[in-house]
Amino acid sequence: MSDRARVWLWRLAILIVLLVAWEWLTGIKAISRTPGLYWIDPFFVSRPSLILKRFAHLASDQVRLSIWQMALSTVQSTVWGFLVGVSTGFAAGLLLGRNERLASIFEPYIIAFNSLPRIALVPLITMIFGFGLLAKIVLAWTIVFFIVFFNTFQGARSVDADLIHSARFLGGTDRQIMRSVIVPSALAWTFASLTPSISFALIGVVVGEFLGGESGGGLGYLIIQSLGTLNAADMMVALIALGVIGIAMALGIKQIEKRLLRWRPEYRSRT
Amino acid sequence: MKRSRIIVRELTKTFRDDGREVAAVQGASFEIHDGEFVALVGPSGCGKSTILNMIGGLVTPTAGGVEIDGVRVAGRAPRQVGYVFQKDTVFPWRTVARNIAVGLEYRGVARAEQERRVREAIGLAGLAGFEEAFPATLSGGMRQRVALMRTLVVEPQILLMDEPFGALDTHTKINLHVELLALWGARHQTVVFVTHDLSEAITLADRIVVMTRRPGRVKMIHDVQLARPRDVIKLRETDAYAHEYGALWHVLGEEFAERA
Repeated sequence: MSDRARVWLWRLAILIVLLVAWEWLTGIKAISRTPGLYWIDPFFVSRPSLILKRFAHLASDQVRLSIWQMALSTVQSTVWGFLVGVSTGFAAGLLLGRNERLASIFEPYIIAFNSLPRIALVPLITMIFGFGLLAKIVLAWTIVFFIVFFNTFQGARSVDADLIHSARFLGGTDRQIMRSVIVPSALAWTFASLTPSISFALIGVVVGEFLGGESGGGLGYLIIQSLGTLNAADMMVALIALGVIGIAMALGIKQIEKRLLRWRPEYRSRT
Repeated sequence: MKRSRIIVRELTKTFRDDGREVAAVQGASFEIHDGEFVALVGPSGCGKSTILNMIGGLVTPTAGGVEIDGVRVAGRAPRQVGYVFQKDTVFPWRTVARNIAVGLEYRGVARAEQERRVREAIGLAGLAGFEEAFPATLSGGMRQRVALMRTLVVEPQILLMDEPFGALDTHTKINLHVELLALWGARHQTVVFVTHDLSEAITLADRIVVMTRRPGRVKMIHDVQLARPRDVIKLRETDAYAHEYGALWHVLGEEFAERA
């Protein structure tokens, strides 16, 4: 058996053990025939079988807002927040990273804004942008922007000066050098920030959905709604869906990274 | 008498170090003629790379100046100058072929012409089969070949080289000497070659500018009396080579000795 297969087998085994233990421990009573006293109370953590049942229900067309629509809303806001955050953060990082004067002018503002807990901004963003998609995107953006900005800024500053000199001797104009030396060199730093960025974008979106109510929809809304009805199973459905979305997005970024940074020795395909 | 392409006049450079002025180069003057291969040798820290950087416009002189083809160098180097660094300056995100093409791209050379010239350069440098390889997969010698071909492919008339083979082992170095002399023999660029390796200087150069230790002054300008074309490997066994080496070693030796 290959190493890879062995790893997958272990992963699968752990999952099965966890699910079986969860189902079993929430099914037996600590004191026989006394109602409500379980080893682990399914009221708080639900049970796999129940979660599956609720999932089937939420995925069906018996509900007004299906799990698919909610997941789509969350994914959409996250992707938009991420894209807008990455592109603005990257552009700002390049600009300030290659311009000492601008960097020193903006430094206190950037540090001040970045040290604000982003959650504190939620009410203000809601006030300005309402409860819909836009507010969630803006919230994700305020987080992603700074993560990408700081990494790109560092990357743009640490471009090897001799690479730039060498490009200049080969006849490169400032614009050409930006495109052919500074951007690819900074990209390696930017990519290091993308995986945390997508997680933080998701955090921003879910927090936005906590407050957003039904018009914003999303899995965060499902969680808050389940809290209102004390429904742990629905909450678990939302949490598992968020986990799956998180993994899928992180894997997607890894793929893009592998392709764009294939010149780096650590990304070369091992054969 | 050939015309002078590079005139270095009373070149001086002082750096501030810990609030003290330290002179790296002190009043260095020499001229380099069209098509000439000149080596700059001296003990480490004698400012030979600083002189090259001032010729290339990377460093601004404190006093004196450099003229290239009658134009004073200020800031940006003139277009006819190519520069090969000691450090690896090949772009790691470009393949070998795209690295060699980069100067042609910058200059807006048509795609087909780019490809033709890159193919030719790859053949000349013995890099066939590595066109699509990324630099991280190449040896140091191959990377330096790419750097050299990338500079030569835009056909600079003046070539500034800062210890380009300094980090390579002797075997690779000698192979690159053979290749460099063959390439130079075809086009006769004007070359300024900085090195601390005396045998390298004698093997390659027409004239050798010997620097004193810091602050660097020109100690002596020596004409190398070895016929061309030179056979890099056999050359070292000849009496003429031994004679050149002996004469220069004596002069350089004084510089090393004074330091102790």
